[in-house]
Amino acid sequence: MPRNLAELTPQTAWLPLEAAPAFDRRMAAHLFRRAGFCASRRELDEAVAAGLTATVKRLLTAGERSSAFDEEMRKFAEVALAAGNPQSLAGWWLHRLRHTPAPLVEKMTLFWHGHFATSAAKVRDARLLYDQNELFRRHALGNFRPLVRGIARDPAMLLYLDSATNRKNHPNENFAREVMELFCLGIGRYSERDIRELARCFTGWEILHGKFTFNTYQHDYGTKSLLGQSGPFDGDDGLRVILEQPACAEFLCGKLVRYFVTDEDLPAEWIAPLAQQFRESDLAIAPVLETIFTSRLFYSERAIGQKVRGPVELGVGLLRALEINTNMIQLAERLRELGQLVFFPPNVKGWPGGKNWIDSSALLGRANLVRALADNIPPRSAAGPASGEQIDQLAELLLAVPPPAEVRAGLIAQLEQAGGMPGALRQAVSVLGALPEFQLS
Amino acid sequence: MQNASRRKFLASISAAASAGLVSLAPRAPGFLLESAALGADRPAGDRILVVVQLSGGNDGLNTVIPYGDEIYRKKRPSLALGADNVIKLERDLGLHPRMKGAETLLEKRWLAVVQGVGYPNPNRSHFESMDIWHTAHTQPQDRAAGWLGRSFDAQRAAGRGSADPPGMHLGAESQPLALAARDVPSPSIRSLDQFQLRVDGDAQRASAIQAAASAPRRQASELLKFVQTRTTAALEISRRITAANQGYKTPVAYPETELAGKLKQVAQLIDAGLSTRVYYVALDGFDTHSDQANAHAGLLDQLAGGLAAFAEDLQNHGHLDRVVTLAFSEFGRRVEENASRGTDHGAAAPVFLVGSKVKPGLIGQHPKLDDLADGDIKFHTDFRCVYAALLAKWLGWPVEPILGEGFAPAAVLQA
Repeated sequence: MPRNLAELTPQTAWLPLEAAPAFDRRMAAHLFRRAGFCASRRELDEAVAAGLTATVKRLLTAGERSSAFDEEMRKFAEVALAAGNPQSLAGWWLHRLRHTPAPLVEKMTLFWHGHFATSAAKVRDARLLYDQNELFRRHALGNFRPLVRGIARDPAMLLYLDSATNRKNHPNENFAREVMELFCLGIGRYSERDIRELARCFTGWEILHGKFTFNTYQHDYGTKSLLGQSGPFDGDDGLRVILEQPACAEFLCGKLVRYFVTDEDLPAEWIAPLAQQFRESDLAIAPVLETIFTSRLFYSERAIGQKVRGPVELGVGLLRALEINTNMIQLAERLRELGQLVFFPPNVKGWPGGKNWIDSSALLGRANLVRALADNIPPRSAAGPASGEQIDQLAELLLAVPPPAEVRAGLIAQLEQAGGMPGALRQAVSVLGALPEFQLS
Repeated sequence: MQNASRRKFLASISAAASAGLVSLAPRAPGFLLESAALGADRPAGDRILVVVQLSGGNDGLNTVIPYGDEIYRKKRPSLALGADNVIKLERDLGLHPRMKGAETLLEKRWLAVVQGVGYPNPNRSHFESMDIWHTAHTQPQDRAAGWLGRSFDAQRAAGRGSADPPGMHLGAESQPLALAARDVPSPSIRSLDQFQLRVDGDAQRASAIQAAASAPRRQASELLKFVQTRTTAALEISRRITAANQGYKTPVAYPETELAGKLKQVAQLIDAGLSTRVYYVALDGFDTHSDQANAHAGLLDQLAGGLAAFAEDLQNHGHLDRVVTLAFSEFGRRVEENASRGTDHGAAAPVFLVGSKVKPGLIGQHPKLDDLADGDIKFHTDFRCVYAALLAKWLGWPVEPILGEGFAPAAVLQA
């Protein structure tokens, strides 16, 4: 049984899970739901056989072994970009999410997409959004420092935040503000004056024909005074000062915990040990993720089933768990209806997530999406497992929290009754997909 | 009633209303009845705002027409409509002849025409001006959230969140910035189908899902309880909407137009009992730079016909006293027509309010055509004063945190 948080303290929460209880299928399914997009039965078998430490290592390093897949995806991206619209690119990414051998890399790419949110509704050039997506992927599990430096030069981002022309006499504060408020420090960790000074640091950083350029004529070479330091700072100096702030690690680790562990806002003392590790590793992402995914807190009742699934997690997770496929452009459109079309975050704050995913329209949309995707399930084989076993397998793959006994019994009876009917399994999945439990991760 | 005398009657009503001096009630007993009804009014928490956005810049001057004005006829050689054509209102003003629906609404005293609405230093870019109307910020400052979205955030922050999304957008276009919020998302749905649990006509499956979702959960976490409550509520709404869809009976014949279709769906959602407070739909095509006459006439027909059918339907289902509809456009158009028998981007224009609780008739003076700014009509009523009335006097929400100071609610609703 997962341990109760009552036994945990901020000091012990992030310690490695003790040898007992053994890493079982439920824990493995939890890990894959969070660190990826659900596990298939085969992946669960492999994870339990390999054990927790090895499975987490494998998730963290899978990106290093995926070059053939990456190459294929680059070719597919060119096809999608030839269509010239961001919706095709969304279909491409969903295809990649469905088939990736490195799910954690994609899960973090999606994290960065929400963190450094840039919308195609304003940046209409799909190529620029693709380039940004690749930037996120390159640094997905790497170091926060080069990622921030990259995003500060990223054409899609600078167009989105109106700082594509940032002139000496009219510094644009939009990007500078979000660097502090949404990207690195969090609100209240800086003053309005710091924003103005940081905006001066970025003057002359321009986008010309879709490419970043530095315009020396438009750069303000004067002395800036930023968060207690001063000098003739340029943009990179400004970012260095910001990333040196202790608040940076607290802020980013807090977001990672909300993304991977629980929708609840944990008090600062629970985040502090992770933030300390993040600083000590010079803002490297992977070590912090390793700590999270092997921690006692992550496998506690405070984490399992304590997040609301996002639409992309839900749709892609169902496909991966059941090893089925669908038309990805259509899937993108359906996910838009549920509130998450990739490349179209609602605003610079990204998708608010958590309970915000849930409203009447979205819940019905989710149930309808599962029903539609279930059509892709191959007919039930007569030689397959017994009905009870089959329902339990589905629940294990799809639900973080088991359904009530009477619901399980009802599903088994229904499957039993439908017997070898080709649609029987599909119907069971469509009922599972409408359960409150299905919305949780 | 004869046409002429009816028009006279209409004119007398709207004249009294715009003068703001005379009680609108024709007789004392009626007046008493009306105030008694207002006293027993539904709480503000039950009231609904429907926004109809007229995208592209509606030519206000050919909507509420100063047909007797020399300048109007001179500046609009091909587009001017004369006394014989318009639906006459008062003092040489008339509605575009294709706005028959508006005539009906005026007769029932369900339509307010607020004239001369705009804002200082008008922006003539569609994008900028629409952003200004959406955010209620005239300066290009923070345009991340709209006036309605910010209100949703404020309501939730004050602990007054709702089970259903507070705002909902119906339509295929991207979501209007007006609904964008920092924290509370509003869904955009293309049609009511999206609001129904699809079970392929299998009633058994529907009830299986209903039973499975509502079965008691022992030791449920707070989050699971939350999702279960929302799920059972959503299934209930779906059931109501499906029933409403199948059995939604209305004696009202909605016109076969896109706008009327959307408004009919809004009526169904309202009737299904959602706790949504704001519905948002758009009608595009008002950017009439060339050969305006026919296109504009068709749009006004669609607008007035849709609004009239919608109000009639709401009345039939007993909701009209809790629904106000606002129709606005990002700007009006240039007084002088261009060389292509069209009009270019202008400034102030009328907005429309529909409902049984609006102050009926013409509100405010028709802007003077001999007193223009850069060839455009000057505003006398800031659109934020109309918003303020809708926020404070209709939805019962705070104004200043959303719009800032200095926007007194315009007198567009019944006291």
